[in-house]
Amino acid sequence: MKHSLLLASLLAVLAAGCSTTDINEPMGLNAPFPELESRTSDGSEVDLIGSSQGKKLSQSALEELAAAAELADRAVYFDYDSFAIKSDFEGVISNHAAFINKHDAAVVVYGNADYRGSHEYNLALGQKRAVAVKQALEALGVNGSAIETISFGEEHANQTCTGSTCGQDRRADIGYVGE
Amino acid sequence: MKSFLKPLLMIWMVCIAGAGHTLEVIEILGGKASQIPIAVIPFKDSNPKKSLQLMNEVIANDLNRSGLFSPIDISGVSDYPYDEREVNFSNWAALQSQFIVVGKIDAIGRSNNQMQVTWSLIDIFKEKTVLSVALKGQPSQYRVIAHRIADTIYEKLTGSKGVFDTNIAFVKKLDKERYSLFIADYDGHNPRAIVNSKYSIISPRWSPDGEKIAYVSFEKRKPVIYVQNIVTGERVLLANFRGNNSAPAWSPDSKKLAIVLTYSANSQIYTIDADGKNIKQLMRTRSINTEPTWAPNGKEIYFSSDRAGSAQIYKVDIDTNEVVRVTFEGNNNVSPSLSPDGKLLLFLNQDGGSYRVAIQNLLSNQVLRLTDGPDDESPIFSPNGHMVLFTYKDYGKLSKIGTVSINGLKMTPIDVGSESILESTWGPLPN
Repeated sequence: MKHSLLLASLLAVLAAGCSTTDINEPMGLNAPFPELESRTSDGSEVDLIGSSQGKKLSQSALEELAAAAELADRAVYFDYDSFAIKSDFEGVISNHAAFINKHDAAVVVYGNADYRGSHEYNLALGQKRAVAVKQALEALGVNGSAIETISFGEEHANQTCTGSTCGQDRRADIGYVGE
Repeated sequence: MKSFLKPLLMIWMVCIAGAGHTLEVIEILGGKASQIPIAVIPFKDSNPKKSLQLMNEVIANDLNRSGLFSPIDISGVSDYPYDEREVNFSNWAALQSQFIVVGKIDAIGRSNNQMQVTWSLIDIFKEKTVLSVALKGQPSQYRVIAHRIADTIYEKLTGSKGVFDTNIAFVKKLDKERYSLFIADYDGHNPRAIVNSKYSIISPRWSPDGEKIAYVSFEKRKPVIYVQNIVTGERVLLANFRGNNSAPAWSPDSKKLAIVLTYSANSQIYTIDADGKNIKQLMRTRSINTEPTWAPNGKEIYFSSDRAGSAQIYKVDIDTNEVVRVTFEGNNNVSPSLSPDGKLLLFLNQDGGSYRVAIQNLLSNQVLRLTDGPDDESPIFSPNGHMVLFTYKDYGKLSKIGTVSINGLKMTPIDVGSESILESTWGPLPN
């Protein structure tokens, strides 16, 4: 009884000429995906210095950098929602500015942000901190075109920080090309 | 050519009682009273396979997740109906059910390796079948078939397309040095990694034509943008300029992207053709401009900026570069995106230390906070604009993924394992 009803309705549809497609076609999303870990389309490695001026540190300069106590501090910390260089870190910046000028060194400033908020906005905040350090170095005579700025945003941040410990991630680090 | 996204189903629409049957379309953003009570009965299975008995649960979970339906508890019912003639209308009315979904599964084809699902949506009050449909497929595709059934019910009763047969993408952090970009069914089932990397991946964005995903990778020790074809796996380095390359956003026609570059200054927005040509800066400012997203009309780009001190959302006319501030409530507002009709702005609102998903009606400028925070991120609309996918931190501080209905009534986790989920995006409707 129920069967005949169903059959009747199916026949009605067939008569109405509804379009049919087959489920048995291959499912695109189940196609195997290549492992991309070691593959880049251009095959190139990162070229941080790009078109910037400044030199890769020489062996003797690298040794000087490693030995100098006043160059051991590379990090400049920022207050929450602030991009001003605090007086505590003027020494870090001036020590590195002197070293950069002496060796005409190519520099990379890496900006960071704490984990809170969006990944993309934090990338922009880290960049703003890197730019603040770049500008402070420029004010001490460093050639701006020898300084590259890169942001890691919150990607290296402590994802479970609370309160003042999050301040460790509101930071820009001075790095050298060639080290 | 988007059919690769979905297995093709053989669908016969049977319009038994469809003619002349009209239903009031639900008012979105209405109260709980607007949720439709619906009973989804297990389908009668002539060739029992355990998984198939879950089809009614998949359908009920889909409808429940939307926030527009309230599937009723049928655990106390002993005698299941399988078609209209078997429905005891007064009993189901007593259970406050407004609609009932019944059906049966028959094994068909050579050696019975295919199945046919014949199901009906029945109006309890009118004592009438609203529609009946027969679908054929392989038993292994029971989830897809169930999602299609839920989509059909959703469209019939709300007037809008269902999104239960769509895909999402998300980034999973497996450990400190293992990140994977996954695509999966919208409810987290059938996850497949499309990128594995030792470095962070952020900002995945599905192209509106469904074919590609753009994302930001840190594999070059700096953020660069790739566009990856999800069928072939082929990927192209779209932007590797000096400084940072991030925040890709597809234009509605999938032909262009808005991206963010820094060179040696603060983040600025550019547009670039999908083949990497024709790059143009949109605005020139000293402040941060980032997180671009296109209005559905293709004429405006919404973005976040600190030009007024705190982070707020603005829109810029692409032709004139005229900028208008859009958000005013809250300390910081970031991560904008627009509903498909362009009437609602979705964003992340930070107020009193809590980051929450919020929606602003762009006509009234009324703001509705959809989630409670405190660490919600990465909000994105479903392709019909009725749900939002987002990430949130649980008490163990692990980042999870879930959906919330835009009426704020239904927040549902998506279970994709115990690892941290960092970023998410929602693919388009299948064609």
